[in-house]
Order: sequence, then structure tokens, then C-alpha cells
Amino acid sequence: MTLTLLAAGGATIPDIIVFAVSAAVIIMGAFGVVTSRNPVHAALSLVMTLFGVAVLFIEQDANFLAAVQVIVYAGAIVVLFLFVIMFLGVDRRENIEAEPLVGQRPLALIFVGVAVASLVALLVSSHWVTGAHGVVGPINGSVNPGSPGAPSGEVAQLGKQLFTTYLFAFEATAALLVIAVVGAVVLARRERRDLEKPSVESPDDEPSSDSSEKEVLR
Amino acid sequence: MPLFALVGFLVLLAFGRRIGDPVAGWIGTLAIAGSFVAACITFAGLSHLPSGAREFTQTYFTWISVGGLHVNAAILIDPLSMTMAMFVTGVSMLIHLYSIGYMKKDRDYSKFFVYLNLFVFSMLILVLANNLLLTFVGWEGVGVCSYWLVSFWFERDSAASAGKKAFIYNRVGDVGFLLAMFLVFSKVGTLNYLSVFANRHVLAGGTATAVMLLLFLAATGKSAQIPLFNWLPDAMEGPTPVSALIHAATMVTAGVYLLCRMNEVLALTPDAMWVIAIVGGVTAFVAATIASAQQDIKKVLAFSTVSQIGYMVLAVGSGAYIAAIFLMVCHAFYKGLLFLGAGSVIHGLEDEQDLKRMGRLRKWLPWTYATFLVAWLSIAGVPPFSGFWSKGDVLTNVYAKSPALWALGVVTAVLTGYYMSRLFFLAFYGKDRWKDPVPGGAAHHSPHESPWVMRLPLVILAVFSALAGAFDLPWVHHYDFASWLAPVFAHSLYLDHEGTVAQWVLATIDAVMAFVGIGVAWHLWKSKVNRPELERKFLINVWYWDDFYDTVIGRPSQSLARFCAGVVDARVIDGAVNGAASLVRATGSQARRLQSGYVRNYALGIAFGTAAIVVFVLSRTWW
Amino acid sequence: MRVALLIASASLHGGIAMPHIAYLAILPEIVMLGGAILLLAVASLVRSALNVTVITVSTLVISLASLAAALWQFFDVQSHGAYTTLDHAVVLDGFSVLVTVLVASAMALTALVGDGYQRREGLAGPEFNVLAMVSATGAMLMGEANDLVIVFLGLEILSIALYVLAAFNRRRAESGEAALKYFLLGGFSSAIFVYGIALTYGATGTTNLTQIADFLAKNVVVSDGLLLAGLTLLLVGFAFKVAAVPFHMWTPDVYQGSPTPITGFMSAVAKAAGFAALIRVFVSSFGVLRVDWQPIIYALAVVTLLVGAVLALIQTDIKRMLAYSSINHAGFVLLGLEAAGALGKVGARGVSSALYYLFAYTFMAIGSFAIVSVLGGRGDAAHEISNYKGLGKRQPFLALAFAVLLLSQAGAPFTTGFWAKLQVVAAAVDANSVPLAVIAMVSAAVAAFFYLRVVLLMYSPKKFVSDQEGDRLENLDASGDAVASTSAREPLWSGSGRQTALVNELNATLLLESSPETIEVPDEREGDVVNVPVLAVVAIGICIAVTVGFGVFPAPLADFAHKASLLFMP
Repeated sequence: MTLTLLAAGGATIPDIIVFAVSAAVIIMGAFGVVTSRNPVHAALSLVMTLFGVAVLFIEQDANFLAAVQVIVYAGAIVVLFLFVIMFLGVDRRENIEAEPLVGQRPLALIFVGVAVASLVALLVSSHWVTGAHGVVGPINGSVNPGSPGAPSGEVAQLGKQLFTTYLFAFEATAALLVIAVVGAVVLARRERRDLEKPSVESPDDEPSSDSSEKEVLR
Repeated sequence: MPLFALVGFLVLLAFGRRIGDPVAGWIGTLAIAGSFVAACITFAGLSHLPSGAREFTQTYFTWISVGGLHVNAAILIDPLSMTMAMFVTGVSMLIHLYSIGYMKKDRDYSKFFVYLNLFVFSMLILVLANNLLLTFVGWEGVGVCSYWLVSFWFERDSAASAGKKAFIYNRVGDVGFLLAMFLVFSKVGTLNYLSVFANRHVLAGGTATAVMLLLFLAATGKSAQIPLFNWLPDAMEGPTPVSALIHAATMVTAGVYLLCRMNEVLALTPDAMWVIAIVGGVTAFVAATIASAQQDIKKVLAFSTVSQIGYMVLAVGSGAYIAAIFLMVCHAFYKGLLFLGAGSVIHGLEDEQDLKRMGRLRKWLPWTYATFLVAWLSIAGVPPFSGFWSKGDVLTNVYAKSPALWALGVVTAVLTGYYMSRLFFLAFYGKDRWKDPVPGGAAHHSPHESPWVMRLPLVILAVFSALAGAFDLPWVHHYDFASWLAPVFAHSLYLDHEGTVAQWVLATIDAVMAFVGIGVAWHLWKSKVNRPELERKFLINVWYWDDFYDTVIGRPSQSLARFCAGVVDARVIDGAVNGAASLVRATGSQARRLQSGYVRNYALGIAFGTAAIVVFVLSRTWW
Repeated sequence: MRVALLIASASLHGGIAMPHIAYLAILPEIVMLGGAILLLAVASLVRSALNVTVITVSTLVISLASLAAALWQFFDVQSHGAYTTLDHAVVLDGFSVLVTVLVASAMALTALVGDGYQRREGLAGPEFNVLAMVSATGAMLMGEANDLVIVFLGLEILSIALYVLAAFNRRRAESGEAALKYFLLGGFSSAIFVYGIALTYGATGTTNLTQIADFLAKNVVVSDGLLLAGLTLLLVGFAFKVAAVPFHMWTPDVYQGSPTPITGFMSAVAKAAGFAALIRVFVSSFGVLRVDWQPIIYALAVVTLLVGAVLALIQTDIKRMLAYSSINHAGFVLLGLEAAGALGKVGARGVSSALYYLFAYTFMAIGSFAIVSVLGGRGDAAHEISNYKGLGKRQPFLALAFAVLLLSQAGAPFTTGFWAKLQVVAAAVDANSVPLAVIAMVSAAVAAFFYLRVVLLMYSPKKFVSDQEGDRLENLDASGDAVASTSAREPLWSGSGRQTALVNELNATLLLESSPETIEVPDEREGDVVNVPVLAVVAIGICIAVTVGFGVFPAPLADFAHKASLLFMP
């Protein structure tokens, strides 16, 4: 379906092939993240997904975004993930075979499947304002795109957007980052007497159920 | 005017406990006296104006302005509301004074005055309000105060349950008030009395009948008429000044006031007027028969109150609003006096209320005796006391409406003379039976007369009971009660068209009937104490009215409750779960399982919701 | 922030025109966020730890300054009308001012309640208040956002701070559990929300709310599946935040686990902000699509109203009960939103009724949770409903305050709760959603049970514990009194014809309640009189004053909400 869209937007055969391959990579990676038993494998699957997305960016001529995607996400963030996982120990494996909740998995499959299928069905039959090839590309010749060394049109455009239309969003992001750091510090800092006992427990260890007696439903 | 009462209430609420006995009582009394003086000044100001201009709306602030509903906190001052305000504050002041003595040494002395002041405040709001909603606030206010005061001695089981009974009966009536209010608002778009009256043509026909019957339902609750009358006798569990103030003089007349206030709408609907008149007449008669067989002095007076209010309602139903208000004022004086006198007797005999254990009290309680005598003659309708004039006024008007109802009224008048005389003779004549020892209890000490703070109100009320008739003597038509009130009822006043001769004949019949009643009672009860043939079980038990309710409504719901308690027991429902929730537990264990505590399970809920909405949207775009 | 701006304008001044900034429009946020960060900085720079009093006082000053700024905004909007600024990213109108006022007041009240809590639980440091203030900033942003990106950022700022706050008391295992649940599910719903933004952008080519509205006004979208998909996913994100069924399941666990003052803050502010953004996005941007989204809101409102009311009945923990009650309240606000979908005046009335409801709910919720917090005792654990038995004897004023707040939540006349319910129901009736209004009334009637249950329990005498048959029957009578006194303030609109039936049913309820398993309370707790911190009393007092004051004189607040909806700039 998206193929038809791409074709409608003037996509060529190589475009379509690149899209199909990277889309498959992305989806495989995403499945890998949630199904891997080993957390390291899960993190590496995430890298795969991020790379696939970067390829899609390139295909859309969003080179700068692709670079940022690889450098920041695949490079920095996932590496950080791996550090943390290594610190905590790689040998811990989650047992995801046993599912105590009756019907959880089939229902989850059904609901998510229905939701995704319906969404796709909606998107197929729709009119897209953005995303077609004609819309992307150098923006009204603000900077000379062809000349080497000059900032690409995309970067200039991003910068301009960031400081005009999305200026406030940019500033608000600062607040978001501050609060994230403060929150992380608050949660990570342990008072001395807290060290004796673990403070945060896994939610699945002791679910608080709605009933007065705490029963684990099987 | 209501401000004084409010201030009194607030001061007592804040400092009452610290001030205590008896200063708190004096503060309460002074506050009400302030209200009374304010009422008098307003009255004087009003009476100087020409009769057409005696109508003011004093707006304080916009109270509610939500959507289409605009309600101001405003008072309407006109002859009707001023009359009410004057006698409410006046009688209240005297009863406050009386209570200072009566409630002495009670544990919750200051609390009592807190309630009383709040009551007077609410009553003034009720009377002075310029719109139905504000009236309703006062209406509820007096209801709540009445509930608190009836169950003032809540340690007594009977007091607690009497309070409950009064409350529930009033609730039933309130439903009528609310529905009437909604109906008026939906038709006219305002709740303001004057605007409603100005647009009353909108209500003409069935709506007016519905509105008035609903309001009448409210009035039967508050004013203790059939079918909601039998909370009032039980309400006698409250302290006697409360019975005098709330359940005789003021609150119970609120229903009559409401009907009079709405007279312009009432005039649109002859059907409703007939219903009101008949209910009033029947209530007057039934209550009088019951009163003639009761033993408890306060119960006799309570049924007598029901009967007298029946007269007022009958008058309203006959279109004789002025007569109704006139009777209301006179009744407030003499019934208040009767209750206070009864209180004095009870006080003197150390809480003895049984008539059969009184007797010959005239020797011991001379003041009480003298004032009671005046009240007795007045309520019995002996000329020239006020009761004669006011009741005569009502009956004359009723005669013009329907001779049948008039006949019922006259029979009731005989009964009134009879039961009041019975009470009077049993209490103040005969042998001093209070000396007899009772099985299981000792004989009483010699009764003692009450302190002056209790006697003074008795005397003042006695003077008014005797002379209040002068407000509306038939041959003075210039500067009197009728012409004072007439502008309020200008659009709907029924003009009595009986000739002077007919009026005199009717009045004579009234007087004769009063003497007949008294004579019969004199003959029967002067020396005898027990006459079982005249005290039928049927009458003692209030025509089995309570049993009727109990069988029809009370018992089924009780057995339902018992069924629920027995079958749906604690074993089935583990704990603080009520009926509706048990359904959830029994049928919906799935619902509980959903709330399992697992995050992935909750995420499933989100997925479900998303899927459902997306599918819905999809279905819309496709079809 | 300022520095970044300067650099930006210095390096690029030739190329681009910086958007004009009306600082007044974002003044409350600047005050709140700046104050929070300043407080954090000062606290980490001074040698000795700041004591709780200093932190509370500075938080109060900051919140009140923010509130004052919001009021200044109000007068500005009234005289100059609504406007957008920062290249249309932010809008200043009556609507946003109301949300800001609400959030700033909620913050001040939370600081008052939190003071006693922090002392009791021995939590040092300014982070508690700082996080709350940043969270409040996020809520304000959501209220005045005119761009989906800003809505999302506000949502995230609000939520991330709340995740941390939920876990703040790390001595309680439930606290951590609640936070983790909230975090995971919040992340899930945020992802859906962002996808919704992306799809909306795909369909309209912009994320700006005004431009979306313009686009939809100018173009007739023939196959609008993409747009509807975006709208749906946005709705899911919002519905999670405001705890509408079936996106509500986190609510009871998180409310129960979080520190109680934070629960109050969360229930009031997160809900208000979520609804504010939801209303703005749906009514102003997607107004054209009302035929598509109105039925969804309708269905959500129905299930939210019913599930919230029914599940609240079976709770034994007061915080869980209030959580379900908050879900029920969300259903009522949805009622207003549903009406807001109507055209013209009726729609404006729907908006104003929803705003009024949120305002009323804020004070009821914070007040209620303040009392729960005070009564929670050390460790914030004593939240069994049975602990409230006999509270009327032990702590009459606290019990009275709680009774008033609960009755207001039940919709008793002469409280804001009554007017709020009246307005949304009236709005729904005006919008021709009569069945919905009827369901709302039914749910309110059901809800009245669980509020009254607590009230009755507080005023029930001690002998109630007994489980002997004879005593039970006696209780039937004794309890009837309490019933009568409470049903005095029965909701008018719920059809007073039920009242005698209600009395009977409640009697039956009480019979059941007197069964020993639930009512049995350890004797030592029976006598416990909790020490009530002064500042908490002030907070509770303010909540009561607002609830009853504006309940008796609803005009000013109704006016405020009405003006806000009139000045609502699409």
C-alpha cells in the first residue's frame, strides 16, 4: 500500500526496493527488541531498527536527520543502554515463557492486530498532504544546495524552523531535559538508610490487585 | 431583619459553649428582639405609604447566575410578608424568653439557642424571600432546624426516631416543592414571585393546577395535613418551647403561607382550590376527633394544631386568604400560649405529660391557670376572644364556598370546644391525681409555679390571645387587617357576598357551637377521669394511620431490607459492599480480574480501547 | 534559556526574523519554572540543607506570583482580547488563563499540604516541591499550547515530573511500583500520542492548531482516514492522561501508591491539563470533524461514568475509592466536552461547563486528598476506609470538612460539585444528548452511595463494631438518623423521589457494613487522634471555602468559566 503511495509520489523502482528492505529491517529489529531473552541482544536489535530508520531518512533526502539518528541514537544512547546492562549483569535472563494471565497474549495479539490493521486500512485510503517527493528537497533556494562546504538546505531549514516556528518548543524541551535530569537524580540518589533494602521493586513481583485479598490470578 | 437572627446564631455558634447558661439565652433573645424591632420599624414605614405602593423588592446581590437561571438574593416586602415577619419575630422573641427558664440546667443549653436562632433566621428567609428558590432555602432551613430540635434529646430513642419521622415526611413534601419549582421555571423562565405573577397567563390551565397541587403536597408535609400529618404529634418529643415555636406558631404555618403567597397562580385553578379546601376540611375534622381521645397533654395540643391548620388550609382553598392569615396570627398567639402553658405544667410536675395524672392544678399554678383559661376560651371560639373572630371569619367564607364544608367546619368547631375543655378540666380541675403513686414510680411533689421569665411570655400572649380579634372586627372596615392585606391578594381575592344578616347568623351559630362543645365536655369530664367509651382505640391510635403506612410502605421495605440482610449476608459479600456492588461481584468477576495489577494487562486495556476506536472510525469512513 | 536565545539571535540575525514574543503570555510559566530552578540551585549551593519551612514558603511565593501573573493575564485578555504569540505556538485567551489559575492554585495548595507530609515522612530537600512546580509548568503549557508539539512537550514535562513524584517516598514499596506502572503505561500512551501528531501532520501539513483549523476550513477532505486516524490516536493519548475508561486502569494503583499530596495534585492538575488540551485540540482544531469524534466521546463518557461509579463502590481503600471517583468525574467532564462539540452557543456552554467542572473538581480533590494525607499517619499507610469509622467523634472538624468535600463530590446542593454537575448535565441536554445526561444522573446516584458510605462511617457510633444480631437491628434505627441527616443534602437533580428508597437501601447497606471483617478496627487505632499540621488546615480550609463559597454564590466562578469560554480563541 505504501508502495502505491510512493509510486504516486513519483518514486522509482530503486526507491521502492530500498524502502522495502529497510522497512523489513526496522520491523525485524523491533520484534527483536521485545522478544530477545538476552538484554544485550535486545539493545542490538534496537540499533538495527534505528539504522533502518536512518536509511529511510536518507531516502527522503533528509540526510542531516539520518546522520543525527545514527550518531545520537545508535551511537550514544544505545551505547549507554549497553553500559547500563553490562553494569547490571548480562547473565540475567527474563523468563517470558510463563504467562500467568489467562488470555493475555492472544488478546493482546488480537487487539493490537485489529488496531494496526484498521489504522493501515485508514491510511491506505487517505489523502496525504506531506511526504510526496515534490514537497521535500531544497527549500525556496535560501542557500545554494549544490555547492560543497555550504550548509545544506536541510540544515539551514531545520535551524530556521527551530528558531522561528518551533522556538517555544525548543525552549520547552530545555525544561523537559532539566526535569528529566532532576528526576533521574532524585530516583538514583539513595539515602544511607535506604541502602539496606531495595527501594524500587519490579511491578510484577507484587501486583496490587483490586480485590481486598491479594490473589494472583492464574 | 434576618441579619439580627443570623448574627445571634453566629455569635452563639462561636462562643455559645463558653458563654453558657443563661447569658447565651439572653443573647439569643436579644438578637430576635432586634429582628422584631426591625420588623416593627419596617412595618411602620410601610403602613405610612398608600396601600397601592406597599410593595418593595430589596435586592442584596446576584446570588446565582448560571445559564438561564438568574436568582437574586432579594427580599420582598409587602403587607403579607411583613405581617408574617412581625408575628414570627414577636412570638419567637417571647418563646426565646420562655426558653431561658425552661431549658435551664440543660446540658446543651447554648446549642439549643443556636438552633432556635438559626430557625428564626431560616423562617425569616422563607417569609421574606422574593423568589421560590430562596423560599426553598428557608423551607429546608426550618426543616433541618426542626429535625435537630425534635431530636434535641437524642439520647431518647423516641426523640431520635421522631426526628427521623419528621424528616422523612417533610422530604416527601419537598419533592413536591422541587417539582413545582422546576415546572414553574420551565414554563415561565423565572422563579421570582412578581415576575411569575406578571406572566401567570403562561401557566393557565393544567400547569397551574399541577404547580399548585405540587406546592400543596409540599404544604401538607410542612403544615402536617392529610396525608402527611402524623409526624407532628411525634415531633412533640422535642422540648416544649420548640413545640410551641416550631410546631404550633411558625414553621407549620409555612405551608399556608406558601399557598397564600402563590395566590395569584392558585386563583387560576379552581380544581386545585377544591382539592385544597376538601383536604383542609377533612384534616380539621379528623385531627379534632383524634385530639378528643389523647392522654398526653402535648399530643392533644399537637392534633389540635393539625386541626387548626386544617381550618387555615380550608380557608385558602375557599379563596379566603385574609381569613387564613388572620387565623394564623391568632392561632400563633393562643396555640403558642397553650403550649407554653402546657410546658409550664410539665415543668411544674417534673416532666409529667399524662393528663390523667394531673388535676386541680389551678390551686398550684395560678398564673398558668389564668393564662391557660384565656387560651382555652379563645381556641374554643368563645366571643369575644380572638379565636371566635378568626374562626368565624374562616367559616363565613367557607359557607359561601360550600355549605357542606361549612357544616364539617362547624362540627369540627364543636369538637374543638369539646377536646380543649376536656384537656382543661382534666388538668386544672378534679382531684389532685398527681399525688397518686403510679405503679413502678413514686408520687410527684407538689407542683411549683414557673419563674418569671416563663410567666411573662404567658401573660403577654394571653393579652394578645384575648384581644387579637380586634385586628379584624367585622364592623370596622377602614384601617384594619383586611384592608391592610388586601393589595397582596388584589388579583385573586374572593369577596364575601354574604349579607350582614347572614354573617351575624353564622357568627351566632359559631358561638353557640363553641358553648355546646364546652358544655358537653363540662358534663362529661368535670369529675370523671376515665370514659373508655369515648376514648376509642381507633381514635387513640390516630385512625390507625401509622399502621396503614406501616403495612403498605414500611413493612414491605423492611422485609426487603431484612431479606437483603439475611440472604445476601456477610458470607456472600465480604465486607463493605452494598447491594449494587454485590451485583458487580456476583456477575462480574471478570471485571475484577481486569484490574489485576499487571502493567501489561493495563496496556491491554489501552490496546483494546485504541482498537475499538480505530475500528469505529474505520467503519465510519467506509460506510 | 535566555542565553540560548541570545546566541541564536546573534548568529542568525541576518537570515531569519525572530518571532515576536509577548512575554506576558508565558509569564506564569517563566515564574514557575524559573522559580523552581532557582530554588533547586540555591538549595544545592548553600552549605547547610534548607529546612522544610524555607522551601515551602518559597514554593508558596513562587506559586502565588505565578497566580498573580495569571490574573494579570486575565485582565489583559479582557481588555485586549485573545492573541497568539511566539509564532502562534502559544495562545493567550480566557481558556488558557483559567487553566493557569487553576494549576497555580493547585500548586500552592499542594505546597501547603506537602509541608506537613514532608515533615512527617522525613523527606528533606527541595526536590519534592521543585518537581511539582515543573510539573505544574507542564500543565500550564498544555493549557495554552496552540501547537501539537507544545501540547506534547507540556504533557511530557507534566508526566515525567509526576512519574518521579509518584516514586518519591522510596520507603514505600507501593510508591515505586506505582511509579513504574505509571511510567511504562505513560510511555506507551505518549508513543501513541506522538504517532497521532505525526499522522495529523501528514494529513494537514502542519502541527499548529490554528493552521489545522484553517486547513480543514478551506479544504474539503474527501478521504480523511489519515486525519481521523491521527485524531483517534491523539484522543487515546489524552484519554490516558485524563483516565477515561478503558484507558483508566493505571489510576487506582498509581493514586494508591503515590504520596497522598501528590495524588491530590495529580488528580487535579493532570486531569485539568489533559482536558484543557483535549478540549482545545478537538473543539478548536477538529471542530469540523465533530460528527466523527462526538460519538466516540459519547461512548467514552458512558463507560467512564458507569465504570468509575460502580467500581468505586467495592473499594476498601480510601485512595482507590477516590481514584475511581476521579474516573467518574472524568466522565462528567467528557459530558461537557461532548456538548462542546455542538455548534455555536451550545458548544460554548459545553466548554464553559467542562471548565467549571474542572475548577470545582480541583478544589474538591485536593481538599479530599489533603485530609486523607493527614489521616494517613506516619508511613502514609492508614488508608483503609474502615479507619474512618468514628472519625466524627475523634476529630470532628476534620470529619466535617471531609463530609463537606465528599458531599460536594456527590453533588449536594450549595456546593460547587452540585453546580458543576448541573452545568454539564444541562449542557448535555442542550446538545440533545439526553440519554447521556440520564446515564450521568444514574451514575451520580450510584456515586452518592460510596461518598455517603464514608460520611456515614465517620459518624457512626462505636457500638457499630458489634456483630450481634440484636445490635444490628438496633443499628438499623440508630443509623437511620445519620441517613436522614445526610440525605438532607441529597442531590436535587437525581430525582428526590428515590429518597425514601434511598434511606431504606442505605439502612440495608449499613447492615452489611456492620459485618465484623471490615469494620473490626484495632482498638489502639480507634483512639488515635492524628496531629493535624497547621498548613494542611489552611489548605483544607481554602478548599472548603471555595467549594462551599462558590457553591452558595456560584455566580463569580460561573462567570469566570463563561468568560473563559467566550474568550476561547479557536
